[in-house]
Amino acid sequence: MSATPLLAVEDLHTHFETPRGRVRAVDGVSFSLDRGQTLGIVGESGCGKSVLSRTIMSLLPSNARVPQASRVAFDGRDLRRLSERQLRQVRGRHMAMIFQDPMTSLNPVMTCGAQIVESLTHHMGLSRRAARDRAVELFTAVGIPEPARRVDHYPHQLSGGMRQRVAIAIALSCEPALLIADEPTTALDVTVQAEILDLLARQQRERRMAMILVTHDLGVVAGHTDEVAVMYAGRIVERAATTTLFAHTRMPYTEALLRSIPRLEDPPHTPLQTIAGRPPDLIDPPPGCRFAPRCRYADDDCRRATPALAGDGHAFACWHPLGAPS
Amino acid sequence: MARTTIDGVVAGGDAEGLAVRRRRRRLGVGFWLPAAWIGLVVLGAATADLWPMPAPETIDFFKRAAMPGTVGEIELAGQTDLSEYRYLLGTDSIGRDILSRLVHGARVSLLIGLLSPLIGLLVGGALGVLAGYYRGRVEGVVVAAMDIILAFPALVLLLGITFYLGPSLPNLILALGFLSVPASARVARANTLSLAGREFVLAAKAMGASDLYILVREIVPNVVMPLLVFAMLLVAVLIVAEGTLSFLGLSVPAPTPSWGAMIEEGRELLDEAPHVTMIPAAAMCLTVLSFNLLGDRLRGLIDPRESRL
Amino acid sequence: MRYLGRKLLRLAFVVVAVTTLTFLFVALLPGDIALLVVGPTASPAEAAAVREQLGLDRPMLVRYGEWLAGLVQGDLGVSLRTSEPVGEAILSRLPVTLELMLLAQVIAVALAVPLGVLCAYRQNRWIDRIVTLTGFAMISVPPFVMALVLIFTVALRLGWLPATGYVPLSEGLWGNLRTFVLPALSIALIEWVTLMRLLRNDMIMTLQEDFIAMARAKGLPAWRILFRHALRPSSFSLITILGLQIGALIGGTLIIESIFALPGIGRLLLTGIFSRDYVVVQGCILFIAVAYVVINFLVDLTYSFLDPRIRVGGRDG
Repeated sequence: MSATPLLAVEDLHTHFETPRGRVRAVDGVSFSLDRGQTLGIVGESGCGKSVLSRTIMSLLPSNARVPQASRVAFDGRDLRRLSERQLRQVRGRHMAMIFQDPMTSLNPVMTCGAQIVESLTHHMGLSRRAARDRAVELFTAVGIPEPARRVDHYPHQLSGGMRQRVAIAIALSCEPALLIADEPTTALDVTVQAEILDLLARQQRERRMAMILVTHDLGVVAGHTDEVAVMYAGRIVERAATTTLFAHTRMPYTEALLRSIPRLEDPPHTPLQTIAGRPPDLIDPPPGCRFAPRCRYADDDCRRATPALAGDGHAFACWHPLGAPS
Repeated sequence: MARTTIDGVVAGGDAEGLAVRRRRRRLGVGFWLPAAWIGLVVLGAATADLWPMPAPETIDFFKRAAMPGTVGEIELAGQTDLSEYRYLLGTDSIGRDILSRLVHGARVSLLIGLLSPLIGLLVGGALGVLAGYYRGRVEGVVVAAMDIILAFPALVLLLGITFYLGPSLPNLILALGFLSVPASARVARANTLSLAGREFVLAAKAMGASDLYILVREIVPNVVMPLLVFAMLLVAVLIVAEGTLSFLGLSVPAPTPSWGAMIEEGRELLDEAPHVTMIPAAAMCLTVLSFNLLGDRLRGLIDPRESRL
Repeated sequence: MRYLGRKLLRLAFVVVAVTTLTFLFVALLPGDIALLVVGPTASPAEAAAVREQLGLDRPMLVRYGEWLAGLVQGDLGVSLRTSEPVGEAILSRLPVTLELMLLAQVIAVALAVPLGVLCAYRQNRWIDRIVTLTGFAMISVPPFVMALVLIFTVALRLGWLPATGYVPLSEGLWGNLRTFVLPALSIALIEWVTLMRLLRNDMIMTLQEDFIAMARAKGLPAWRILFRHALRPSSFSLITILGLQIGALIGGTLIIESIFALPGIGRLLLTGIFSRDYVVVQGCILFIAVAYVVINFLVDLTYSFLDPRIRVGGRDG
């Protein structure tokens, strides 16, 4: 447990200026992450988890606004204060990202090898030859068969799972300290998903990287993360060590998410549990707890005042948390 | 959420679309300014004979290639005595008032520039709509015929036609109209194809509507707008085409003034008196620009996602 | 393969139609060609002599057959004015027209690509608006006006280049290229606008793709992302239109050749028109039209080769 965490996000807000108003996509998020740790960020579509990961990487569109008070401290430096040129030195080299759909995130007209070599020559100063050899090594490390041949293939010549391995190889090529995986398995077959997650976990252990795993699927975080943060309507509503989250869920929202996962052991024709209603409008959210309209336990307290995220090891934001009152 | 681009410049997210949709309701300066210029030209061409200026053929022997603003003595149109007259735009190499020739010359450019596209749009539009709606053999014949006409580079075809028919105003209008038919047919057909497959046409058919009804009530009103946008472009192109022909001396013969011919006549004086060429050239460019701008604005109305000025 | 066969058939059909139409142009002339050739002051005997010489007194089909037979052998007739075989006249002037076309397109592309990339990168910022506005203005200038403006500024006022005068390659490359600068610019300064707009619009779409976000996430510099990653997938429309422009330029260099006194095919056609040399006119029109059709056909083929999705269905939308 080092003194300075690798990544420290403090009071992060990301707003988008739109003609309809200001969309508060990320509305006050704080967390920290150490080397070697994996954090899972879980939430429905539109909860702000993707915006969060892109804000950390500073990959936002021009109508995005992040207030001065927000801090994204990476290895002690506040990324919000860096110039674009300085950011480019961090991106790809110390901080890397893999995207959801490897078919669209890999350049279709460049060979897989060329896409790694590019990073290596730019960030690590390797020669083309050395970079190519390194690319083959990386392909082997991520489990791509016949790496020397695949290096010269185009993305469309590989299967979905292999393409994602290529994307992972690219991300790992410059030995980053932090890897952000934004829905890395959503576009893949179920059988391949497990392989990819295991690969990520293995690489992370070997390289002592910090990893943020962003997903909507609680099943994905179950065996592969140290900590989980549940996001709803731009905020973290529960954060705990993974096993604790599953065993001692406090937030009704998390409970609802868990309940909505269909189980193999359920008898046939068990109706799918859904969460009624829709996520709130991020421009003009209602007062009080944002989950209140859809929460089965909500009462007037919930609708009046917004609970803050509180708690040390296991933080949650609820007036009436589940489990024993503490 | 808006997608990120290279530097975070947002390109076409929902936010952008909303803003553009709001903008499109107003026509703005980009519409009214060119419309005003065109209106001015049309007005000038129509009322040319009423203005207090010399006839376009009248020659002032003493004031050849005079600079704009020079004063001379000349008979104004419809008069026999000499009057003092300020040549606002100067005179050409022979001594004719440029302003008068410009205004009269506008007639040729406008007549051809407006009537020929009309022919093209009516004939080509009808052919295109029919081809796109009925498909099958009708479409095959129309497309083949259009392809053959389009096979000839336009200017070459034009030269060929005027070579054989002789350059008179009606001939030119017909020839250029004929040349506009294939392109108009293409636009009409493309739009009809995309419309004919849509649900509201199928619904009308299911209700037992006749082909004529569908064509007139459903298809044509929707094709009119894109054709109108295309029309603006066509007018611009045809004004240039006529200008090119008259520059080569193959348009309406002298003494009828036309802008292209005026430009050519000033060529020998390009060094000493550039205004003789540049003034009609500027008039032509401004008119073409105006139609281009109008077309762009109209296109912005029907398809806000198209990049505009 | 069947797709190729269909396209070739269509090409053949259009070529045949074009040649027939060109023949009919002359054959169906209102008025007597012979009179057109000898002029209104000639005597009937002279007209009759010309008529016989040109074979105008023979039946239409025979003339058509003879003409086609001649075509296949490359015989386009003989100029009435200079007695030079039209085929040779065209071929000897072809290099000039080709050089002009090539240079014009090279300059147009050299202008369009960097500006298109820049405007896509800085979409809707002031540089984009300025370039777009300038482009709009320039595309409204007719080519012959552009030529005159260039002559006025560059040749007359600045004196950097001569206004007219052709220096063939045999007399030196530099002199030859200098001849083509102004003519090529007259064309290129208008053509670049369409190419730039196409590239800009395509690139704006490409820049929204995920793999560009990925490239950004890799920390690559902007120029590299623009040119190495985004440019190729965005060049489709540009290349297609480039090909079509080249086809159109075959006839389109006409007026530029005339203004700058370049001995190209266009000028040959014009001279033929002014001297009522219908054989030359016919030959030129035929050559230009067939070349245009063939080039469009080749561009079409290349396009469908590049993008397999287009191969389904031969109809253009």
